[in-house]
Amino acid sequence: MTKRYKTRFMITAALVLSLLMPTGAQASSLPYDSYMYTVDSEVRSIAGYVYKQSIDGIGLPSGAFNRPESIHIADDGSIYIADAGNNRIVQLDAGHNFVRTYGDDDGPGKLSEPKGLYVKEDGTVYVADTKNGRIVVFTEEGEFVRDYPKPQSPLIGSTFSYSPSKLILDKRDYMYVVSDGNTQGLLQIDPNGDFKGFYGANHVGFSWSRLFVKLVATEEQRRKMTAIRPAEFSNLDMDQEGFMYTTTIGEESNQLKRLSPVGVDTLNFGVERQYGDFYSIGPFTMASFIGVSVSEDGIITALDLQTSKVFQYDKLGNFLFSFGGVGEQNGLFATPSDLDQNKDGDIYVVDRGRNRVDIFRTTPFADLVHEASILYVDGRYEEAEALWQEVLRTNANYEMAYVAIGKALYKAERYKEAMDYFKLARARHDYSVAFKEYRKEVVRENFTVIALGLVALFILLRWGLPKLIRTVRRRAKLGAKSGLQLRKGETQ
Amino acid sequence: MNTLVMMRKVMARPFDFYEDIQMPGAIRWSHPLLIVALAYVVRMVVLYASGFAFQTREPYEISALQEFIWLVVPFATWCVAHWAVSAILDGEGKFKEIVYGSAFALVPYTVFMIPVTLLTQLIALDEAGTVTALTYAIYAWVGWLLLLKVQILHNFNLAKTLFIVALSVIGMLIIWFVGVLLYGLANQFINFFLDIVKELRMRA
Repeated sequence: MTKRYKTRFMITAALVLSLLMPTGAQASSLPYDSYMYTVDSEVRSIAGYVYKQSIDGIGLPSGAFNRPESIHIADDGSIYIADAGNNRIVQLDAGHNFVRTYGDDDGPGKLSEPKGLYVKEDGTVYVADTKNGRIVVFTEEGEFVRDYPKPQSPLIGSTFSYSPSKLILDKRDYMYVVSDGNTQGLLQIDPNGDFKGFYGANHVGFSWSRLFVKLVATEEQRRKMTAIRPAEFSNLDMDQEGFMYTTTIGEESNQLKRLSPVGVDTLNFGVERQYGDFYSIGPFTMASFIGVSVSEDGIITALDLQTSKVFQYDKLGNFLFSFGGVGEQNGLFATPSDLDQNKDGDIYVVDRGRNRVDIFRTTPFADLVHEASILYVDGRYEEAEALWQEVLRTNANYEMAYVAIGKALYKAERYKEAMDYFKLARARHDYSVAFKEYRKEVVRENFTVIALGLVALFILLRWGLPKLIRTVRRRAKLGAKSGLQLRKGETQ
Repeated sequence: MNTLVMMRKVMARPFDFYEDIQMPGAIRWSHPLLIVALAYVVRMVVLYASGFAFQTREPYEISALQEFIWLVVPFATWCVAHWAVSAILDGEGKFKEIVYGSAFALVPYTVFMIPVTLLTQLIALDEAGTVTALTYAIYAWVGWLLLLKVQILHNFNLAKTLFIVALSVIGMLIIWFVGVLLYGLANQFINFFLDIVKELRMRA
């Protein structure tokens, strides 16, 4: 009796609670879908990031932001926002409290629609002062130090339109500058303001249709055609080892690149990989990456303007998570323009359309995947295995986990099990590698049986089969003869 | 003569085979049908039984009906187009000889493709060269038998054989085009009448 009463009470309580908190339940559901890509399809997944809060400047001494373009989070957690509509840079501390602004005082340091910035470890602020066509340097306290106007070089030419939008400094204090509309690569400028060359330019690939047009078109027609230019860079980030991560717009594949110090793409080495969502409708819906941020562990987070989604990849370029989208709810964006992440792994996405910065935190699932993926990328498969098993317990659709566990098993020389995992992930190449080892093992263990079997098979084919055929033929002949005799007998 | 004997003959002595089938009364209609059915079965076995690393399609992507259409329709249109083209251009072959000869050109595929498929169960991807070479060899054999068939049945020289084959392929494409066109027109035609019926019912 008491037991039954208890359960009834529990059910009623649950019902009442669920009635009381519909808004709470609503808020916890996400405005975007979470998914993974398998070899050939999209499957549901668990969200890696959820919306936490926003900063819009309202209530801060700085006042509301206006068309913020970019964000930079320094190592100490200070947040710098390029508030382009207000022609200034706003600095907040790690707790989102106002610290100071840069470049809104009249004088040589007056900014005009700055679209990007970089902060050195000592706190010196480098701003891409886009409308003024220069790079401006401020001290940590906000005092103007100097500016770098358009660099002069025969390589650049007089018709070059210089509008620096994003920049980064390497360890030598060389500036790498993205200039809007420039297809020759990143501009390298040394600390004296001298132009040091273009870096890591994109290339125009070979195309059959272009070759055909070239062969058919007349001189006059060719002149009227638009020149084919390599795609332009839209954003950049740099990791501790000095590798440059870039985003490219106007390309269908390899939009994310990791450039080595000599400008070679090491992320998509020898492969064509499509980042972002897989569209098949054509160039109108091609992913258009405009922001990139790389974590200390090499996890790459990139922002796609086309879908307003954020995509995250591991160091090898394997897809991990996506979130965001177009919309009005918290967690979706109007017109996102850039992103960065802090030490805790929170991702800050600048929403230019809604004049605010949205902050996303990781879910426990994402933390697990990140931890496992970092070990995996380092080649520490055995250590990663337990974590990946945990990932699979939470989300059996996570295909990467099967590959990772397969590799761990392979390393532990448990080839048959490794094959099973690779098969689940449909990783044909890895499967084949494990299979080869497995085959070796089987042959070694059953050598006598296999050798004897082969000898027996040879004997059978060499002597047995011809003999069998001869006997069958003789029988058939005899049968035909006796059949004839029988028929003869019948007629008689 | 049963089918097995003929299959052996087309592989062992193809010249004699194509001479012999021109003898009166040498052709049974059941033989080519059996060979095409066998080729279909072999095709399905190849798709399902190849080693995991060698599968180019997931099992759910394989459609038995589609595979059947992709084998029977090209074969049938080849026979018709080739017969039409060769009949116009002084070929000596009869339609039934063409069907018979074309079907038997598939024999190497039906016989050797299954061992090659079983081989893929035993080898790794970096040894795939063997399988690829064997597969190409089988296809080349089939192609060579087809050419031989054209040459011997119609008593052509090599240049004319190649010319007729090219024309036959164009003929196949034309047949397909007309087929698709007729399908579209018939569809519109039927829809037109259905719409009239609908309209009449609405007004009545």
